[in-house]
Amino acid sequence: MTMAEAVPAALGPGVDRVDGRPKVLGAAHYPSDVTLPGMAHAALVRSTIAAGSIVRLDTARAADMLGVLTVITHENAGRLQKGKRNLFFPPPAAPLQDARISYHGQYVAVIVAETRQQAAAAARLIEVTYDRDEPVLTLDDAAASSQSNPYFIDMKRGDAKAAMATAEVTVEGTFTTSPETHNPLGPFTTVAQWHGDTLTVYDSTQNPFHVRAVLAASFGLAEDDVRVLSPYVGGGFGAGLRSWPHTILAALAARVVARPVQLSLTRPEMFTGVGHRPSTMQRLTIAATRDGKLVAIDHEGTSTASMGHEAPTRKPPTRKAPLQSLLKAPDEQPYPITAGTAAAYACPNVAARDKRVRLNIAPIAHMRAPGEAEGNFAIESLLDELSYELGMDPIDLRLRNYAEVQPQTGLPWSSKALRECYTVGAERFGWAQRDPTVGAMRDGRWLVGYGMAGVTFNHYQAKCHARATVHRDGTAHVCSGATDIGTGTYTVMTQLAAEVLGLPVDRVEFELGDTRLPQAPQAGGSGLTTALGSAVHNTCVALVQRVLTLVSDDADSPLRGCTIEDVVAHQGRLQHADDESRGETYSEILGRHGLSELTVDGDSAPSRAEAGVIVGSLVVSRLGRFGRKLVGASHATVPAGGFGARFVEVRVDPELGVLRIARIVSVNDAGRVVNEKLARSQIIGGTVGGIGMAIFEETVRDPDSGRVANATLSDYLIPVNADVPDIDVVFVGGPDPANPIGVKGVGEIGLVGVAAAIANGVYHATGRRIRSLPITIDKLL
Amino acid sequence: MRDSGKRAEGGRSSTVSLTVNGSGHDLTLDNRTTLLDALREHLALTGSKKGCDQGACGACTVLVDGRRVVSCLMLAAQCDGREVTTIEGLSPDGVLHPVQEAFVRHDGLQCGYCTPGQVMSAVALLAEGRAGSDQEIREFMSGNVCRCGAYPNIVAAIREVAACDAAV
Ligand code: FES
Ligand code: FES
Repeated sequence: MTMAEAVPAALGPGVDRVDGRPKVLGAAHYPSDVTLPGMAHAALVRSTIAAGSIVRLDTARAADMLGVLTVITHENAGRLQKGKRNLFFPPPAAPLQDARISYHGQYVAVIVAETRQQAAAAARLIEVTYDRDEPVLTLDDAAASSQSNPYFIDMKRGDAKAAMATAEVTVEGTFTTSPETHNPLGPFTTVAQWHGDTLTVYDSTQNPFHVRAVLAASFGLAEDDVRVLSPYVGGGFGAGLRSWPHTILAALAARVVARPVQLSLTRPEMFTGVGHRPSTMQRLTIAATRDGKLVAIDHEGTSTASMGHEAPTRKPPTRKAPLQSLLKAPDEQPYPITAGTAAAYACPNVAARDKRVRLNIAPIAHMRAPGEAEGNFAIESLLDELSYELGMDPIDLRLRNYAEVQPQTGLPWSSKALRECYTVGAERFGWAQRDPTVGAMRDGRWLVGYGMAGVTFNHYQAKCHARATVHRDGTAHVCSGATDIGTGTYTVMTQLAAEVLGLPVDRVEFELGDTRLPQAPQAGGSGLTTALGSAVHNTCVALVQRVLTLVSDDADSPLRGCTIEDVVAHQGRLQHADDESRGETYSEILGRHGLSELTVDGDSAPSRAEAGVIVGSLVVSRLGRFGRKLVGASHATVPAGGFGARFVEVRVDPELGVLRIARIVSVNDAGRVVNEKLARSQIIGGTVGGIGMAIFEETVRDPDSGRVANATLSDYLIPVNADVPDIDVVFVGGPDPANPIGVKGVGEIGLVGVAAAIANGVYHATGRRIRSLPITIDKLL
Repeated sequence: MRDSGKRAEGGRSSTVSLTVNGSGHDLTLDNRTTLLDALREHLALTGSKKGCDQGACGACTVLVDGRRVVSCLMLAAQCDGREVTTIEGLSPDGVLHPVQEAFVRHDGLQCGYCTPGQVMSAVALLAEGRAGSDQEIREFMSGNVCRCGAYPNIVAAIREVAACDAAV
């Protein structure tokens, strides 16, 4: 069965978002839109210190308010278990279990009342007295404990130090990025309802099965007794990958009042309750020959993380700490910044290592291209510096060091069209018109700068299950318990199923967002389309196979004895590939066999190479050339993530420091693009996020109290419509053979490289090299 | 009454008459109830979204007497006797309004959470004649935050409807 011939109409640029209609009608129900009979409302009280403990909680006035049903604090919450150990998505510390405080904004009480207004008003009447410790709040605080190699993935090849010592040209810099807050527009909300000992929650999440596991552990339930529903989520950007204390508290509140409870975070609570992109600091040195050949990269990245509830205050670093936190009870998400460094360029000597500093801040969370965006900012900025140092065009410098094979393992990429990203992008942008002299290009009062950056993104795929049913009326239903956070999953999966089954898109319904459906991984790591798309594809192929099995010895069927290679699926019909007159419809087959429907379950799994590459890269780190031989013997190719190039025109008013982004060209190798309209939206969205990171976004913490000082959408700046210029999105490359549908993820890559391209444009315009994000007016005056 | 004797500090109620999407409603509401909460929680019109509850995101945009307002910054009591149009009132018979249709066609949405507010703003902006150029659309749509970053497609959708309107 050849897919390309099957149903071209199911694919391509023309298909509108299938969930577009309910969304423009206001008829898509997000968790905050869920109302259940008898539903009460919960409100939270948060700590106003960053470290210390609660001495006294006075809840009497609140409890006495009209409509208040209960007030829950650590004194009456009862015992909750911590969720099971999870390396990528560590569960939160069980909330309200003791008096310790480890960050400003930690929940200290939940009020449940008849109405939202009553709960919110009562929350303001809770009085808390604290015993305050001195919090550790900044990276450079001497009391901050720093862990080396906290994720055990530090990498090296060759001998960077030795190569640096004799290099002809060396550039170095320290780069910093500010904490950012995801701020999905839909405030995270949980609606919880108990039926006896089973729990149903509607939750804003990108990871429903993880939420299910954490809730089951918290309340000592079997996972099957917890159902998580999330058919619509108002954005995530990574904030919904972990599970959060408010979800547990909503379920606890519902159990205490024996009624359904809705708990919707306020916007200020969204700044401490659902993670943030941590601040980072990077030291980077790049050495090259005079003619632009890289000889060594030394990259050290440090990111911040919360203190964790187990040891909420100052603690001396111990050598065992990282191992313990990784193996025993990880309470923070890994946040490597340099993990992609070794794979980006063909450079013989690389040392890449990470550090982590624990502070009295709210827990972190992966945010769109976590670590990749920050690491890329440093590398692509410093390469730009090197290009000026060498007097070489920045694109030429990158092409000179193009990684034809995956440089850490020496194995071929499964596919790579980065070269086309550079050339197509340069052409569309008009890079040739760039006068390389700094400050030479002007438009009236504006200084004009052209900047570019390259992107090598990592590959990720997890195991995934799906179910497909074809009905006698010739429609199909396909499902999996994934989420669509705006990424287009509903649509793309509908298309992929329609493609295999040979049905028009409007005859296929794809269902998601329910843990009663087959298990799917998180919408994260740019890996859901690969994982779920492959599962949907495999499952639908299995369904066609099942239909063929049904007629394998059916004398009335023109498909009798056919194998899947013999047929194509077209317009609800299976037919011989070489004689379309010999075939029949699903309806005919099911009807003749007295079946109302036919269902199969299927799945997809990452190839062995997936795990092999990570392990292989580390083996090479430890065993050098011998390791490379070992890895080479066991794998054919390295599954490639996306590649990209960014071209940006910036304008700077030299007197006012005003920075404007005039236009952006974003070229990406995303493998096979299933739906260009929606993939383009993903890249645009990522690009807008990149603009935010580059010039606006910064979560400001009060240096004394640790309070987030700009926790509103008027104070925390997010790009608005007038900040965003035309964005020219181009896709290059073709299907990637590492998965059956040929795709690479597009959820995050659009963001990566934008900050560096803007910073490089700013340098080109002004001669100022800004190594700290965001690039605000004060830095340009 | 288990609540008898409890304090109702600040929680007094009033009766408010609203015309919403053409039909009249008399509601008895806690005085602290915003127009947004009245629509969402008392009239089950959850199309208008709450993104910030602080007037900073535009997700709750509705029309009051034909003018766009952020309904989270208005108390329901302020709207007594006034006419409110929400996203649900834009296509009462299920046929998409041209702006809604253009949003779908141009993919001017992703998660969809800002979308009802964007659509209501766009409808008002077109009625106000403020969609004369991309620049103008961008400026006058800047009160509606889209965290998914669908802006260029939102501009394209409004541009197209404006061009059709101009052609009529
Ligand atoms: S919810 Fe009203 S402006 Fe944000
Ligand atoms: S579509 Fe998600 S906020 Fe606009």
